[in-house]
Amino acid sequence: MNHYKLSISEINKLFKDKKLKPSELYSEVFERAANTESIIHGHLTLFQDENIKKAADADKRYENGTELGILDGIPIAIKDNINIAGYATTCSSQMLSNYISPYDATVITKLKDEGVMFTGKTNLDEFAMGSSTENSAFGPTKNPWDPSRVPGGSSGGSAAVVSAGSAIASLGSDTGGSIRQPASFCGVVGFKPTYGTVSRFGLVAFASSLDQIGPITNNVEDSKILFNSMKGFDPFDATSGKESKTKQPKLKNAKIGIIKELMEDGISEDAKLEVQKVAKLLESQGHEIVEVSLPLTKMSISIYYLIAPAECSANLSRFDGVRYGNRVAGNTSYEMMENTRAEGFGPEVKKRILLGTYALSAGYYDAFYGQALKARAMMKKEFTETYKEVDYLISPTTPSDPFKFGEKSDNQLEMYMSDLCTIPANLVGMPAISIPTGLSSNGLPLSVQIMSPANTDNTLLEFSQKLESVVSFTSLPEIKGGVS
Amino acid sequence: MKIVPTIGMETHVELKTNSKMFCRCNVVETDKPNENLCPTCLGLPGSLPVPNKRAIEFITLLALSTKCQITTDGMFHRKNYFYPDLPKNYQISQFDLPVGTEGSLEIVVNGEFSTVEIERVHMEEDTGKSTHIGSGRIDSATSTHLDFNRAGIPLVEVVTKPLIKSSKEAVSYIEELRQLVIDLDISEGKLEKGNLRFDANISVAYENDDELGTKVEIKNMNSLRSLEKAIEYEISRQTKMLNNNETIIQETRHWDEKKEVTSSMRSKEGSADYRYFSDPDIPNMILSKDFIDKIKNNMPVLPSEKRNTFINSGLSIEDANSIGKSPKWMGELYKSVSDITNDSKTTFNWITGELQGQLRKLGETSPPEWMTAEQLAEIISLVKNDKISFTSGKEILAELIEEKINPEEYAISNKLIQENDTEEISKMVKEIIKENSEVLERIANGEEKLIGFLVGQVIKLSNGKVNPSVAKELLLKEIK
Repeated sequence: MNHYKLSISEINKLFKDKKLKPSELYSEVFERAANTESIIHGHLTLFQDENIKKAADADKRYENGTELGILDGIPIAIKDNINIAGYATTCSSQMLSNYISPYDATVITKLKDEGVMFTGKTNLDEFAMGSSTENSAFGPTKNPWDPSRVPGGSSGGSAAVVSAGSAIASLGSDTGGSIRQPASFCGVVGFKPTYGTVSRFGLVAFASSLDQIGPITNNVEDSKILFNSMKGFDPFDATSGKESKTKQPKLKNAKIGIIKELMEDGISEDAKLEVQKVAKLLESQGHEIVEVSLPLTKMSISIYYLIAPAECSANLSRFDGVRYGNRVAGNTSYEMMENTRAEGFGPEVKKRILLGTYALSAGYYDAFYGQALKARAMMKKEFTETYKEVDYLISPTTPSDPFKFGEKSDNQLEMYMSDLCTIPANLVGMPAISIPTGLSSNGLPLSVQIMSPANTDNTLLEFSQKLESVVSFTSLPEIKGGVS
Repeated sequence: MKIVPTIGMETHVELKTNSKMFCRCNVVETDKPNENLCPTCLGLPGSLPVPNKRAIEFITLLALSTKCQITTDGMFHRKNYFYPDLPKNYQISQFDLPVGTEGSLEIVVNGEFSTVEIERVHMEEDTGKSTHIGSGRIDSATSTHLDFNRAGIPLVEVVTKPLIKSSKEAVSYIEELRQLVIDLDISEGKLEKGNLRFDANISVAYENDDELGTKVEIKNMNSLRSLEKAIEYEISRQTKMLNNNETIIQETRHWDEKKEVTSSMRSKEGSADYRYFSDPDIPNMILSKDFIDKIKNNMPVLPSEKRNTFINSGLSIEDANSIGKSPKWMGELYKSVSDITNDSKTTFNWITGELQGQLRKLGETSPPEWMTAEQLAEIISLVKNDKISFTSGKEILAELIEEKINPEEYAISNKLIQENDTEEISKMVKEIIKENSEVLERIANGEEKLIGFLVGQVIKLSNGKVNPSVAKELLLKEIK
């Protein structure tokens, strides 16, 4: 029997009942990786050697009844922009191909304390900039459902390895949909928490006001377990929040708004039908479905592509070859820094740095970055007002099912549009989850996105668990061509 | 037409917090480079800044004591520029919402009060330290050595309005600011250690011009002396150019300590674009009324208040200012001694002149612990009341620095007490006049200097006990 698609609580029960050992599960997951990675390329590195000992330690803990918690012995994959001390953090960039982090991200410290085993680091679009992992300096990740198609991005590796079963769950980071969009493309659950609930310390920043770490899992319950083990105030992250008391949305007889603007042009028929199908299911559960209009949602891509590049232009300035990273020599210090950046960064990263630098420049700030900040504040207000009327919002996660490699790389705007539905939650800092609900006419996974007000994450997860149970999406990818 | 200079000062004050501005690294003094670093102050990928509350208390204290308006809803900005010793290639600083704005600082220039207008007081982090090998400059160096120990140490930048009119005023301003941060106990205030670093913006214009001239920024002035010299040099350089109708360009100039000239570092300063934007890693800096009130209620005595106390004790503005900027023990000793002597000026002179001078000769920075205000007051009174000569007073003071003595007892046992009994002295004067008729004749013929000789004779006769001024007075009376 395979165990890699079981839920974390099911696995934990098997461990406790001594029907399965962490070392056995790890071997199974590692073998799965060995069989699928040549096709999928979801992991950039696999931590096999050290995990053999760690799995044996976990075995002993379960034998002695001293296990650390529900996550003890669970193999989890980590996106390669989250630091694990002693291991490379490449961000899928040539710039950092040899960079070893000397410290753990706060989320890693927390997961280590719970006995989590890390399968390895997963592929991403360079510095988390992209929607397909095509921007990785180390080659793209393939979608387990169809290797000719992208797994989404930027957390494409993290989504693909969970889908493929080479990790029980994974961590991704979400700046404009980088957890939810690949989760949707790979038919798994992706959760972006409220901004500030999970510490960003140790996550290599792309756009600091938008970035948030979250789980990618086989089911909603696993996301809930991981979220609750990672959340909480961190003295090393000034933007991390202490838990605030917020009015929670209803779990029964809730009012759910379908966002009108995310059911219009640019959204495929498949995606619209999926939302309508789910809406009917929700209605049958006793919830009320209404249409709501959030006009500024249509501007979210424009707002995002000013704010995110502006922040990234400063965040990525530190990669200069002076203290770490791959230094490219020059005749002067400045020439060295220029050469290092010219060679170290890929084209998409350079484009966004240029875009952001321009948007912040004297004389352009007010017209671009300043306007974007104002629009963002208005958008937040729009969402806050809407949540006075409804408990949750629902939309497609992605405008379409997974696209093919190269399909959108020539049309950047179309590529950017694939984040249309996910970006708003980042701009307003509110939680959003992507849940796989069905298959498209191509036989590829489709998901819906459910959003809720800030600091209502656990209610959203609970609500999503109920939806998940009635949707009962049980399809699994069949990975062809792998060594089996 | 008269040409007048205008000067604005930008001063960085290094705060003496235990830890750095945005991380938990200790601020320590060490010669070993790169000893005290963490992911945050080294700008490692994924690190984040968390503001130091103590530093924000310190800057609020400084802003309040310079009468600034406090920005209660401020924020940190990123100032973007590339330099190898700037770990993130942006500096966390403040832009349009600094902690303090529109303040002022009372200073003393040439014995008179003056006011320097403060434009802003803002918080930022220090950079690392670069040593360019093979040349002093980054572009021509063969290699550059970097030490990040300093990176992230909290700095307050104090910017004045361009209303300072002379090098002396600029120097007085820095002296006052230095004393302020020392008295507030927020910085060591040592110029030689770089705790206070200043740049000057200088321009010249015809007196009746409405607009200021083109401003030139002067860097690398490491002492008050170089500040004064650099400003004077730059004013005369610009004045000459204006007189010759040459165009002064906006640039940054470097003060050359050895050659005592300024030379161009870089032009195009006006086009530097730091692309400021609010730092998304740090929430807005909300300074509550409670926070500000607590600081206000614990405000120490300010240098200006101290100075007023000295003025009220009878000192001139100049002297009051000078003792206020002297080591702390001097002001305190002055207060105790002058309370006893009731003679501010004499007390001031004894402490700042004789006492400090003798200590300095011995290589001491403060008086011995046994020295009391009463002892010093006794010496001053003995001299003032003509009981002993000034020279004897100095001798007793020297003795007191050496060991614990009682000044009056010492004066008696060492026969330093002067004879002030005029009847006794008159007898001696008469005797001397009798013996020196020849000298008297010469004095009558205009050789008045010889009176000194006669005084000396009287003192000799008395075995040095006669007060010379009394002897002289009586001699003159007898002769006439």
